[in-house]
Amino acid sequence: MRNEKDLLQLMNAHFEPLKLEIKRKQNVSVEFKKEELIQALSFLKSHSYRHLSTISCVDWPEEGEFELVYHLFSYDDLINISLKTRIKRDPGIFQTAKEIWPVAEFYERDIHDFFGVKFKGNDNLEELILENWQEIPPMRKDFDTRKFVNDKYEWRDYNGQKHTD
Amino acid sequence: MIDIIYRIGHFVLITVFSMALGLLFMGIARKIVARIQKRYGPPVYQPYLDVLKLFGKDAITHGFIFDFGAIMALGGVIATLFFIPLGSWQLYSMEGTVILVIYLLAIASLGMAMGTVGSGNPQASVGISRALMQMLGYELPYLVILFALIYRYQTSSVWGLMQAQAGSFLNWNLFAYPLMAAVAFVVLIGMMGKKPFDSMIAPSEIGSGPVVESGGKYLGMLLLQKSITIIIELALYVNLFLGGAENILIFTFKMLIVWVLATMFGSLFPRFRIEDGIKFFWKWPLGIAILQAIYIIT
Amino acid sequence: MNNNFVKGSWQEILDWAQNKSINMLHYCTGCGAIELPPTMTSRYDMSRFGIGPAATPRQADLLLVTGYLSTKTLRRLIYTYEQMQAPKFVVGFGSCTINGGMYWDSYNTIKQLDKYLPVEMYIAGCMPRPEAILDGLLKLKKMIADGEADGYQRYQDNLEYYHQNQEAVLGEVQRTQ
Repeated sequence: MRNEKDLLQLMNAHFEPLKLEIKRKQNVSVEFKKEELIQALSFLKSHSYRHLSTISCVDWPEEGEFELVYHLFSYDDLINISLKTRIKRDPGIFQTAKEIWPVAEFYERDIHDFFGVKFKGNDNLEELILENWQEIPPMRKDFDTRKFVNDKYEWRDYNGQKHTD
Repeated sequence: MIDIIYRIGHFVLITVFSMALGLLFMGIARKIVARIQKRYGPPVYQPYLDVLKLFGKDAITHGFIFDFGAIMALGGVIATLFFIPLGSWQLYSMEGTVILVIYLLAIASLGMAMGTVGSGNPQASVGISRALMQMLGYELPYLVILFALIYRYQTSSVWGLMQAQAGSFLNWNLFAYPLMAAVAFVVLIGMMGKKPFDSMIAPSEIGSGPVVESGGKYLGMLLLQKSITIIIELALYVNLFLGGAENILIFTFKMLIVWVLATMFGSLFPRFRIEDGIKFFWKWPLGIAILQAIYIIT
Repeated sequence: MNNNFVKGSWQEILDWAQNKSINMLHYCTGCGAIELPPTMTSRYDMSRFGIGPAATPRQADLLLVTGYLSTKTLRRLIYTYEQMQAPKFVVGFGSCTINGGMYWDSYNTIKQLDKYLPVEMYIAGCMPRPEAILDGLLKLKKMIADGEADGYQRYQDNLEYYHQNQEAVLGEVQRTQ
């Protein structure tokens, strides 16, 4: 059973992480170059981090980047590890993790729905949660929710006053 | 000629009476279940309102087979009704009615099956396949009981089996062969699709099973079919085990007692899965029925 | 004239039976569904008013929309509504169906249910308590008995309007016939 420090040493020994951090007890975050991330995932899977909790995505429009975060958990070490990487926002293409965890297909479809990130190797990126979505993906920061809602839906009229006023 | 008119009048009277009584029994059952759950419950006449409302609603058909299935189910049970003595009311009496009744009831189930095939809803198919499987489960112990009774009294008409118990109430099969009556009671609960044997109509699981696609008038028709089925099954039990009755009032009273008991038992148990239900029927009721049959024959 | 009178009284009898016997389909879209179990079970027992649950849309008279509707669930709701048989009523439940409620600025949640389906009445609250639900349903019973609950006729008469609104938020909607 490793503790958090052992885990960081293990990462340092095999990869070249950009940033290592122990956030709190049982919670570690590591930032990788995007070339190394998929390798790191399969390496960790063979070192007891078998559980892929979820994949999340953060939009950084100022830097023109998406940050993908892979959350893994080990039932032996009882540690959550977050593997982060940044990809360019403009093409927004990354490698799929489908071969390592089949369930990743759904997380990737989800991210494709809401951020428009494409995953090379995952050819089933049709809409998972949204339906007939024509606009830019809704969770991107440049999507103006208020304007979209005002255009698409009508507010109820309370004697000339809208309840949103 | 007069005789024919008299017969037809009798047909109509028995059918209407059974429908009305069956609906009343359903209302009573809803009230009993409500009181067991510490609720006030709907009024006793609620099923009559339901039927009236359902016949006032629109209904869409799913084709000829669907219509025919519903009519076959209703016709099957009405036909069965004529071979069962209700008190002193008896239209046809002959040897073999016990077997005939079982077969005619199967026709009603097959009518339901045809309706579900016509609707093409997968949940309805699951429901009806469960219903037919359950029939396989409860008919085996029931047939063992019936054959034992036929052997014992040397008659195979319901009327004859009822007459054989005449005299004192100690002659009733309920007291003469209590184990058999208990088995038949469990089978009765299964026949009427009450809990714990209601996996074929499980509303939260397969959306009420065979009737999932029937709305409006079709549902009203199936509700009437259900009400007559209840009366047939109760009447069969009363005739075979409680010695029938001389007049319809006492007969209704006996049916009511059996119905209330069955409802109370039903509201106590959770639902069997279909394979567990069949396993149960083929283990305990069948075993006890065979034991009792051996006792009768030897 | 006489014929009309007979037809009218028969309709009145049917309305009376309908108001005493309502099978509701609670379409559990949101948090409002949690208020229905206490309303149905021992504490409040709506079955004493002749209101009970229905298993499928075909058997139901009343569609309870319990909470917010995303556009994806609205599509299913419309299919459900169109499967129901003719005297049919819709009751909006909670503030989400009235004006979007706490989801008023969500990009994917509709704001007014009555633009898409003919709503008989709304039960306000976030969430309405079982007492409010019972009060609302008793009002609905009264409306049915008086012949005021004519949502399905309004839907037929203004089919264009409803279809337009539905297609504006959903894109293509599958229709039978």
